[in-house]
Amino acid sequence: MFGYVRPLRSELKCKDFDLYRASYCGLCRCLRRRFGLIAPLLLNFDFTFLTLALWSPEERPSYCRGRCHANPLIKKQMCPDSPALELAADESVILAWWKLRDAVADEGFFQGLPARAACLALKGAYRKAARRRPDFDRTVRGCLGELARLEQENCPSLDRTADTFARLLQAAAPAEGKQGQVLEQLLYHLGRWIYLADARDDLAEDLSHGRYNPVAARYGSEGDDEALALTMDQSLAQMGAALQLGEFGCRRPLLENIIYLGLPLVQKSVFDGSWAQIKKQKIWRNDT
Amino acid sequence: MNDPYSVLGVSPNASDEEVKKAYRELARKYHPDNYQNNPLADLAEEKMKEINEAYDQITKQRAGGGSSGGYSGGYSSSYQSSYQGGYSSASNQTYARIRTLINAGDLDSAERLLYEVNQKDGEWYFLSGSIAYRKGWMDEAMQNYTRAVQMEPNNMEYRQALAVMQRGTAGGYRPAGYSSGMDAMDCCSTMLCLNCLCGGGNC
Repeated sequence: MFGYVRPLRSELKCKDFDLYRASYCGLCRCLRRRFGLIAPLLLNFDFTFLTLALWSPEERPSYCRGRCHANPLIKKQMCPDSPALELAADESVILAWWKLRDAVADEGFFQGLPARAACLALKGAYRKAARRRPDFDRTVRGCLGELARLEQENCPSLDRTADTFARLLQAAAPAEGKQGQVLEQLLYHLGRWIYLADARDDLAEDLSHGRYNPVAARYGSEGDDEALALTMDQSLAQMGAALQLGEFGCRRPLLENIIYLGLPLVQKSVFDGSWAQIKKQKIWRNDT
Repeated sequence: MNDPYSVLGVSPNASDEEVKKAYRELARKYHPDNYQNNPLADLAEEKMKEINEAYDQITKQRAGGGSSGGYSGGYSSSYQSSYQGGYSSASNQTYARIRTLINAGDLDSAERLLYEVNQKDGEWYFLSGSIAYRKGWMDEAMQNYTRAVQMEPNNMEYRQALAVMQRGTAGGYRPAGYSSGMDAMDCCSTMLCLNCLCGGGNC
C-alpha cells in the first residue's frame, strides 16, 4: 500500500522486534505460498500492522525457519501460516489489484502500460483472493470507485474523501463482537490517517501536475500544515483509545509502539519533507 | 465474575498500595473522559464497571485496609452528573431527541432530524459537530464546534468539546513509556530514529 505504518525500532524490545520481523517475513512467506513468486512484491509494513492487529490474542508467537524471498541464500525466522496472515495476504492482493485498475483507468495508453502489465501478472492471484474474500473485494471496489468520483468532482471536503479509504480499511477486519467493534474503529482512523498522510506527501507533486489533491482542495494550494496535523492527531488519539479497549495479547507492545511512536514520527517527517528520503531506504538492509 | 485480582492485573499477594496503584492506572485508562462521544464509549464504561467492582470486592475482602470504594464512587458519579447535566439543558425538544439518537449511535436518523431544523443556532452547529465527531469526520467536527463556540462563546459544553479536539494527541491516556515528549525531538533525531528502523542488524 504505502508503507507509512511502521514501528519506532529504537523503542522496541528485542523480543518485540523479532516478533515484528517474523510477522513481516511470515506475511511474505504466506503471499508466496498462496499466490506464487510475484506476490511478495506486494509486501509492506501497513499489512504487517494489519496482520498483528488481526491475530488471535491468545495465540503465542511461533517461529519456523525459511529462506528469504529477496535473498534465498539466507534463512530467516518467520511466522508459519495463520488465519491472520492469510487474511492480510488475500486483502493485500485485492487492494493492490484495484489500485492498479485505477491507475490503468487514469493514465493514457502508453503511460498506463506498466500498470497494465502488472495487472496481467496479478490477475490469477487476484481471482483467487477475490474468491476467498468476496465481501472485501466488493467493498474495495465500491470505495475506490466512490473515491475516484469524488476526485473527479474536485471534492472540497477532507473528511468525505478520507472516509472512502477509511471505510475500505475498516472492512479489512471481520466485524464480530467487541473485538470487531474495536478493530473497526482502529482501522477506520488508521485508514483516514494513511489517506491524509499520503495526500500531504503528494501535495507538491499533484500541484505541479495539476492533479486533484484533497489537502489542496480543502486548504488551498499552500496547504495548512497546522490544521492538517491537528486533524491527523485526532485520528491518532482515536486509534489509541480504541487500542486500549481491545485484546491483543503479546502483540500489544508492538501495536502501541506503532500507534504512539511510529505513526507520529512518520507524520512529522511527512510534514517536514524528510519522509521522501526515509521511505526509499531498503528495509532490514544490513540484516544477514 | 472474574477473579478481581486478575481484573486489576495484580497478584493476590499484592499490597494494598499496589492494588490501589493498579486500580488507579486502569481507571485513568478507561476513564469516561477519554471516550466522550466515542463509538466505543459503552465498551469503556463496561471496563470501568468491571474494575470498579473488582476494586470494591478486594477492599471489602481486606476489610480495614484503607478506605473502600471512595475512589470508584468519585469517578462514576462525577461523570454521570456532567454528562446528563449538559444534555438536560437542551431547551428544544428536537435537539433533545437528536442527542438521544447520537448517544444511541443512530447517526443517520440524527442527521436527518437535524437537517429538518431551519434555524441554525449554536446548538445546531454543536450537534452537527457531535455527529461528525462520532463518525470520525474530525475536520468537519472541528469546524462545526468552532462555529458553535463563535455563536455562543459562553456555553461551557461547546467550549469543552472544542478544547478536547484542540488537544490532539496531547490529551487522553497513554501507557507508561509512551508519554515521551515527541515534540521535543528535533529534526536530526527524527532522521536518526527512522534510520534505526530501516537499517541495523539483529537486535
